[in-house]
Amino acid sequence: MITVPGDLSRLLNALGLIAVDTLLVIAFVDQLWFRDLPCPICILQRAGFVAAGFGIALNLLFGPRPSHYGMTIVGAAVGAAIAMRQILLHIVPDSGSYGNAVFGMHLYTWAFIGFVLMIIGSAVLLLDDRQFARSEPWSNRLDVLPLTALVTFIVLAVGNIFSTLLLCGAGFCPEAPTGYLI
Amino acid sequence: MMSLPFLLFACGLGAAWLSQRGASMGFWIAGLVVLLVLFRAHFGDALNIAL
Repeated sequence: MITVPGDLSRLLNALGLIAVDTLLVIAFVDQLWFRDLPCPICILQRAGFVAAGFGIALNLLFGPRPSHYGMTIVGAAVGAAIAMRQILLHIVPDSGSYGNAVFGMHLYTWAFIGFVLMIIGSAVLLLDDRQFARSEPWSNRLDVLPLTALVTFIVLAVGNIFSTLLLCGAGFCPEAPTGYLI
Repeated sequence: MMSLPFLLFACGLGAAWLSQRGASMGFWIAGLVVLLVLFRAHFGDALNIAL
């Protein structure tokens, strides 16, 4: 039951991080199950999600702060710019596309929508001043939902290190990868 | 090279887990800078249009 101002904020942050986790899992499923290897810009969009989710993770660990929301907004803005670049690469009719479509749109389009939603969500959460004026100290013990979201996020960030190393080796990725380099 | 942003973000998350908030934010900033540099490097990736 939500009784203390700020608990709602922690719950919403946990749900937000689960949404980021879900997007990163979908990217892995597309890569591993459907053999749809990510291009370099696709990998950078994944990194954008990790950068944006980072602020949410800090909100869960240290309590909500405006700087953490700022990190999420900046990370999502960078990610949105990268996704927009890829959308513009394929915006010309008959210019083709990259990867599989999911529910009629490609992953980079979904990524752009996700980044915009993160920016809007962070801005909306910033409107609640009560979460920053909490007198009780934040408990270091996380409930099941925030802990699950956080651990999954860390596992996915580490998983992306190994996935990218396997795909690109130690250097830059090929523009259209056809297989794993390692 | 391409895995460097993930590595820096993961280090930042590890620092946050150990309650090192300042170090965590430092790793995040470093990761974001590397991400922007890599985006610049891949900004001009080939556009395969048959004109």
